[in-house]
Amino acid sequence: MTSTRTTFSRRGFLGLTAAAASVPLLAACGGGSASQGGGSAGGTIKFWDMPWATPALNDASRKLTEGFSGANSKANYQIIQWNNFYQTFSSAIASKTGPAVSTGGGFQAFQFEQQGQIAYADNLIETLKKNGMYDDFLPGVVEPFKTDKGYVAVPWHLSMRVMWYRKSLFEQAGVDVPKDWATLLEAGKALKKIGAVGFATGAGAGNNIGNQAMIMMMINNGGGVFSKDGELDVMNDRNVEATEFLLELVSNGIIDPAAVSYTSANLDAQWKDKKAAFGAHVSQMDTRVGDTSGDLIVASPIAGPHGDKGGLVFPNNIMMYTNTPSQEASEAFLVYYLGQLKELWKQKLMNALPVFKSIAELPEFASDPNNVKIVREWQPIAKTLAAQGDKLNANLAVLDGGQALNQFTQTILTGKTDAKSALQAFESGLKTVLKK
Amino acid sequence: MSSTTASSGLARARRGLAPGGARGGSPKPGNLNRKSKLRAQTSRTFFWLLLPSVILLVLIHGYPLIEAGVQATHDGNLLQTGKFVGGENFAAVLSSPAFWKAAQFTLMFTIVGVFGSWLVGLGLALLLRTRIPAGGTFKVLLLLPWVVPIVVSSTAWNWLVATPDSLIPSLFRNFGLGTPLFLADPNLAAVTVMIFKVWVSFPFMMMMISAALASVDTTVYEAASMDGATRWQQFSQITLPLIARSTYISWILMTIFCVNDFPTIYLLTGGGPVNATTSLVVLAYRTVFQDFATGPGVAIAFLMTMTLVVISVLLYRQIRKSSVE
Repeated sequence: MTSTRTTFSRRGFLGLTAAAASVPLLAACGGGSASQGGGSAGGTIKFWDMPWATPALNDASRKLTEGFSGANSKANYQIIQWNNFYQTFSSAIASKTGPAVSTGGGFQAFQFEQQGQIAYADNLIETLKKNGMYDDFLPGVVEPFKTDKGYVAVPWHLSMRVMWYRKSLFEQAGVDVPKDWATLLEAGKALKKIGAVGFATGAGAGNNIGNQAMIMMMINNGGGVFSKDGELDVMNDRNVEATEFLLELVSNGIIDPAAVSYTSANLDAQWKDKKAAFGAHVSQMDTRVGDTSGDLIVASPIAGPHGDKGGLVFPNNIMMYTNTPSQEASEAFLVYYLGQLKELWKQKLMNALPVFKSIAELPEFASDPNNVKIVREWQPIAKTLAAQGDKLNANLAVLDGGQALNQFTQTILTGKTDAKSALQAFESGLKTVLKK
Repeated sequence: MSSTTASSGLARARRGLAPGGARGGSPKPGNLNRKSKLRAQTSRTFFWLLLPSVILLVLIHGYPLIEAGVQATHDGNLLQTGKFVGGENFAAVLSSPAFWKAAQFTLMFTIVGVFGSWLVGLGLALLLRTRIPAGGTFKVLLLLPWVVPIVVSSTAWNWLVATPDSLIPSLFRNFGLGTPLFLADPNLAAVTVMIFKVWVSFPFMMMMISAALASVDTTVYEAASMDGATRWQQFSQITLPLIARSTYISWILMTIFCVNDFPTIYLLTGGGPVNATTSLVVLAYRTVFQDFATGPGVAIAFLMTMTLVVISVLLYRQIRKSSVE
């Protein structure tokens, strides 16, 4: 991409600063000659990836990336930390030092699409249709990325939120695993008597599980923050009912009174220390907390008072940027990388659900009954943050990590509110920040 | 000895005069002209030597300031400037209850952080001036809260107070004092964050005051003792005035540290529960990077900076006043 501008713009200054700052870094790396170009006609594709699991995953991803050779190009790999990742991407894109292809936040592609920085993946989708990979996608995982102008990204894994339970605590309390909200309440009371937590969650510093559990319960009741048309619909009856139920869990002490301040580490410790008996968490939570004894089990989806079932899914995706040495090379890299993804599951490095049927059938993945349960029971009923609608968009980034949802969750977990007031505050908080 | 004699002795001591002493004689008139020429020449040299640094500083600080000014008056994002909205972002921020709640917490956090750490630092600095066994080791140990990375200390504090089974809530329970939820109760969380700040900051104050105390001539105290001053009079009328300059400087620095402190709060509570520990800097961060509302977020940062400048100017005036005295 060439620029005919001769004036010294602010963007130019930022670029110059970034370039100047990168000189000593490149020198320090040694042998790190031009990252763009790299001696091949298609240039070198810069692929930025996030720490999705353990460092071993990134090591394996790096190996896969560096194994790419196609469309007269190569690819290099860089890990971007989650802390301030949006700022990292924004600064790099502004200074034209950003990636050609990247993973990233769930709604990042939509945010950068609004700013004209995303290269649409329509040609790539056509290629995937031709080579058969498109048909290998699990049902409904690609379409959420289609906008009026084209596909902004392609999915590569599904980050699911599902209900987990600890079998031994239920046995100790002498109650069955909940099948609906009524039995969840009853089980919670029985679990409390043995000192266990009947609905484990947390909304402390950096912990989003609490926020996600709130939305999950709304979806579980057939509700959601948006209408089917994508309009804000916080105050619907199903959401009010779900919030009232959550407040009932708080008032009965079934949700830990200190949960509002629990970080991810605090919550994981509660599961590991056999205090948490039931609650929403990520897939492969057992591996994450270090207890794969079989005592931590994925529960079947519970039914809301109207019989609805539902879970929450974040379709994580890979996006391409307009700032690339070659769009053809970006697409060739992505076709290659998607084709290699199975290696990550084969090596049991991924703690999320695959988007390809062929990976979901791998013995390394399917040998875990919890994985099978998630694919069979949770994935078909899971909805995104866009629920009750199904179209992903940039506004969901504001809902996902924004202050309004966090404030709502913390208000509920402290129990010092009523459902309608909390939802009204949530709605008004969202209205002030959501773009029309 | 009468109190008049004691107070005149203390006044002389503060001016650095030994009993019966006097200041040196006035300069000879013939030297004045040469001295003023020399002073002018030195000023010119200083100006040219400083000029490159000043230009660099203006560039480094001026560009982001202008860019921030542009962002605060537009409705854009981190990539695009957006359309000009004038003072709309400032008006929105100033009419937001969240801003005033954060401002109130920032004020409390700063007052407790500055004066709490100063009092603890002063106490320990005075203690360390006396001969105590293993004083050097003690001093190094006391520096640890300042030296240890905040990520580590916040994790340690979280471990101490976060859950009902954490060490400190367990101790309270064992003493029959209930089970306080230090980070889950909004009021207790605010208090905990402030105590954490004092704990992290007192070593800095201790070092500043220790350095100031080391420069105080011990003969001043001997003179005051001879004039009959009590320990309290020596502390309040000699020690405090003589370390006033360092004290004001440390207050300015600590005020800036507290107002701009992001990690202490964010790592321990994330600004919660329910915004109980959200300071202005945390609010600015969350507005820009979580709500993606760049204009209002930068407007908050601007207002913070202006407030800090005013506070710093006021305290600097106090320093100059104390120097003159």
